[in-house]
Parts: sequence; structure tokens; C-alpha cells
Amino acid sequence: MSSIQEQMRIRARELLTSGQVQMVIGWEKGSFWYLSPPVFITDPAEVDRLIWDEFCTHNLAKYLLDYKLSEDKIALFVKGCDTRGINRLLQDNQIQRDKVYLIGIKCSGIKDGRQAQVLGEERKGEVPLAYKCSYCTSPAPLVYDELIEGTDDSKVKSENFKGTGRYELVEKIEAMTPDERYAFWTGHYDRCLRCYACRNICPACNCRECIFDRSQSGWCGKQMNRSENLYFAITRAMHVAGRCIECGECERACPVGIPIMALNQKIIKEINDLFGEYEAGVDLEMKPPMVQYNSDDPDEFE
Amino acid sequence: MLKIKQTEMPQLLNAWAQKSRVFVPQDRGGVSAFLPWDGKGTLTLGKGNTLEPPKDIFFPRTETMYRYQVAEAATTLETMPPQKEQHVLVGIRSCDARSLEIMDDVFLTKGYEDEFYRQKRENTVVIALACNEALPTCFCTAFEIDPGRAEGVDVQMWMTSDSYLVEAITDKGEELLKQTSELLTPVENETLPDAAKPTLKVDVEGITEKLQQMFEHLYWAEVSRKCLGCGACTYLCPTCHCFDIQSENRGSSGFKFRCWDSCMFSEYTRMAGGHNPRPSKKERMRNRFLHKLQYIPERYGKYGCVGCGRCLDRCPVNVDITRVIREIKEVTL
Repeated sequence: MSSIQEQMRIRARELLTSGQVQMVIGWEKGSFWYLSPPVFITDPAEVDRLIWDEFCTHNLAKYLLDYKLSEDKIALFVKGCDTRGINRLLQDNQIQRDKVYLIGIKCSGIKDGRQAQVLGEERKGEVPLAYKCSYCTSPAPLVYDELIEGTDDSKVKSENFKGTGRYELVEKIEAMTPDERYAFWTGHYDRCLRCYACRNICPACNCRECIFDRSQSGWCGKQMNRSENLYFAITRAMHVAGRCIECGECERACPVGIPIMALNQKIIKEINDLFGEYEAGVDLEMKPPMVQYNSDDPDEFE
Repeated sequence: MLKIKQTEMPQLLNAWAQKSRVFVPQDRGGVSAFLPWDGKGTLTLGKGNTLEPPKDIFFPRTETMYRYQVAEAATTLETMPPQKEQHVLVGIRSCDARSLEIMDDVFLTKGYEDEFYRQKRENTVVIALACNEALPTCFCTAFEIDPGRAEGVDVQMWMTSDSYLVEAITDKGEELLKQTSELLTPVENETLPDAAKPTLKVDVEGITEKLQQMFEHLYWAEVSRKCLGCGACTYLCPTCHCFDIQSENRGSSGFKFRCWDSCMFSEYTRMAGGHNPRPSKKERMRNRFLHKLQYIPERYGKYGCVGCGRCLDRCPVNVDITRVIREIKEVTL
């Protein structure tokens, strides 16, 4: 059996040459050993740029929005968490399933690129898994048109995936006093540059126009200060409530290291407690808890 | 030349902080930035470069420009008091020193002086720290910047194994060092440490001329595909200086402020009627590179990039300006 990377290239070439798809989105090797950024291939002669390694962390699903109005069919490589992004976009009626060709890859976990950068290439072996992978529940793709074989299945679900730790930071923050909590979040969000990398990489942030791109709407202001930064943080967290697929891309993309996922996971934890366990983007038919109503929903104001 | 033990640096900063607000690289939640020194922070001076550039000391993220009050037919304006506070900016690298020269060009030349910027610039003593070690993302030498000695600063420092060597460059710098002469030991014939040697190389020769012919080139559509359209690159860039002016109204009074803006955002060029001359990330990303490598060189005779590598380090999708420069040089017109 050829390696995953070889199969990726073979399939990309076949799909492009036969005209089944007009573009393939995957990963290529970036400027440094710990970077494997997205690559867009339209010419079959360029398929050898595609790679598969432990730094293929990017969730490529969001890019499909750039081609929403295009007639082209696009092939996309997807890990387990990425497919939850696909389901997110499908459920939100953002993309058409028949315009996307999904090539699934069973994922044995992605390494933390930022820590890799700090450790240096000599200590490559010590680079830990990305935190999000430690509690991943869907390492295998949930939706695909074809599946690439070759992943060591023993690694896909092994001690790599502790299955715990999902709410580690959330619980730490819950244990704080209100003042400590305020200091924690303001400390982080005072750094926020309002670059919107978190929003732009997020498959759940798919509004045609974001409230924060209308700074004169009166809802929100453009000042970069504590009040506006926190307003941005809370608004975004609420807008993705029940829809966040926990790919962790917002936190990875944040240039100033804000623990954004703790905010999202706090909300996930609350929703699960109130409305029952729900994993966004796993089951296409199951409606997100925030967009449906049941007469037996808890109502604290009763 | 003067000398001070590394362990005594906090005392020197404390001494300067008596009369001025001292900005020095410190850790803030795992991120290194120029923060006001209160004697308690964790110094990151001498450890690589700060993630956040020093520009917000001269050009704050948000700054009130004036206040206004409307009472019946009369409007009163209240201008902001001139900034009298003295600042000392400690430990900027040669790349960031060049960035201040570019900011000076933008805010102080060509017939208009930005008063807000000018006051802060004039009230600040700038102290540079030479680089002994380059990060993998550093490429300042591509723009003929010497990591071992900064341009246009008031004081230059070098870090040795246990000390800092300190040399006044301007009268302003001389004046500051005199105030704390009891902490600084005069030394002679000290050997300066070797300057860092960035390993990331890129040849920018001819890039402006090439770009002048590339506005409509297909390359921009290709290179911008992976761009997320976020503002991380522009906000971490030491030379990006765009701002928006808006007002905050509360009934009959309010204030005008300016705040950083980014050409990577759709709102940046959206006009009142809804038309947007830069409708997609292709046009926006093109603008960013043209601004750095064509428009600023044409207008001010120097590149708008200083090779600090911050954008390259933090771009979530690895848009690498050195790679873009190499590719631009290779594309056929």
C-alpha cells in the first residue's frame, strides 16, 4: 500500500485530469518544518505539492465559501474534525454537497505547530499533539466520497486520544471567583488585536456579512479597548453557540494566543447540561440545540 | 561607552521611570510586547523580538482626537491637551528602528505633520538593542538593515554575556544617560558582540520595478487563495499605519477617535453607496504587497517592509512575504 501522501497525489491527479473536479484543496509544505499550510491545485502537473504530515492542521472546509458562487466542483482532503466543518456548512445551507468531492483521511492526531517552533527541529520527537486532538471524538472522517487507506489504525484511537481534558481549562475557570475570572478574561482580551483571524477561519462563522464588518451599525464599535474587545469575544461565542465543531482553529489562528476555545467549550458544556449531549457537525440530520424548541426544554424563569 | 550588569537593568529602568514612562519588552500572557515598566513585570529584553511592534507607543490602537458638545445651535469643541509625558522606549531592534523612520515619513513629511504622532515621537527617547541572534523568521538584512546597530535612535545598546554596553547617539540620549550616570560605568575598548546573521535570505533588487507592471497579473488571484482576509499581518506589522476615524455619540455629546484599520478588511474600502473597489481578498492582498514593496518605495525611497518577520511568524496560513517576493521575481509578465 502506498503512503497516504502518494495516494493523495495520485487521486488528485486523476480527479483533475478526468475533469471530475476543477480544483483540489489540500496541504503543502510551508516555510518551516512545522508548517503545512493550505494549497490550491488546478493544474495536474502540480499535484506533487500536496503533502500529508503531522502538521496538516488546517481545517480546509471554510475555503469552500470562497467558491460558493462558482460552477466548479472542488475536491477537498478532510480529517475527522474537518468533516464536522463540512457538516456545519451543509447544515447551514452554505454549500451544496454535490459540488464538493471529499477525500477522507483517518487522522492519528496533529502536532502543535507553535510548540514545535519553540522546541526546534532537533527536538522534533518531543512535539506534543495539538491540545484539541487529545479529546477528539471523531478522528475518522464522518462524511466522504472516498477514504484514503494507510493510516495506522492502532494510532487513530490509542493513548494518543485521552478522551479527557476537554473541559480542563473550563473547569479551572469555573472554579475562579468572579473577580479572578474577570481578571483572566480581560487579561487575555486586552491583547486582542481585533484581527478577526478567529472568525475568518471558523466554519461556523459563515454569516454573509458579519456584524463586526459594520462598525457604524451602532451595535458595536471599532475602538480597540477592553469593552469593545469583550463585546466582540462574547458576541462571537454566542453566535457559534451550539454550532462550534471544536476544530480549535480559532485558537490556533489567534496571533496573540487567546484561549478562545475555553469560551466555546464553556458554552458547549452548558448546552450539554441543559439540553442533553450534542456534538455539532456529527449528525447532519440532528438539529443544533439552539435552533430548535422542545416543550420540555428547561425554563429557569418558570 | 557605558556598561551595566544585566542584573542591574531593572534598577536602571526604575531610575528612568522616576521621570518618564518607560516602555520595555515584557511578557503579557505569553506574548512579548513593549509595556510600561512598573518594576514588577517579567522582562523579555534581549530574548528575540517582541511579538507586538512598538508602533502603538506613537500611534495607539485607539486615540481620542477631540470631544464635542452640542447645545441647541451651538457646538463646542474640546481639543485634547498636548501630551507632555516623557517616554523612554527601551530595547527596540534594528528592524523596528527602521520602521520608526518609515512611520516618520508617513506622519511627518510631504506637507502634513500629524500632531498626535509628532508629540509622542518628540517626547520619546528611543533606545535600541542590537541583535546577537536571529530568529528563523528574521530577514532584515534583505533591506540593508544592520542587526548590530540601529538607525535613527537616541541610544544604542549591545548585550554581552552578563552586561549591556550602552552608547549615546544623540543629545537626547546623552541627556537621559547623564540622569542615571551613577548606575552606568564608563568603559573603553570594549569589543562589541557579533551581530546576528539572519539565515532567511531574499533578494529584493528590482522588485518595485517588477511590481509596477503587475497590477493586473494573474498571480494575485493565485497567491491570495489561502489568505483568510484577517488583519493579523497588518496589525503585527511595525510599518502598517492605516487608521479609521469614527465617533462615539452619547446624546448631545461625544468624541472623535481614530483607531487602527486594516486594508485586509472588506469595510476598509467600502464606500457610502456600497461599492467596494477592492471587492475580494485578491485586491486586498495585492494592495498590501504593493504598498510595502511599490508605493512606499516610490513615495519615500525606502521599502515598507523591514524584515522583522512578524507577519510570517503569525499568519495562520503561512502567507510568507519572502516567498511572495521570490515568486514575483519569477513570474512572467
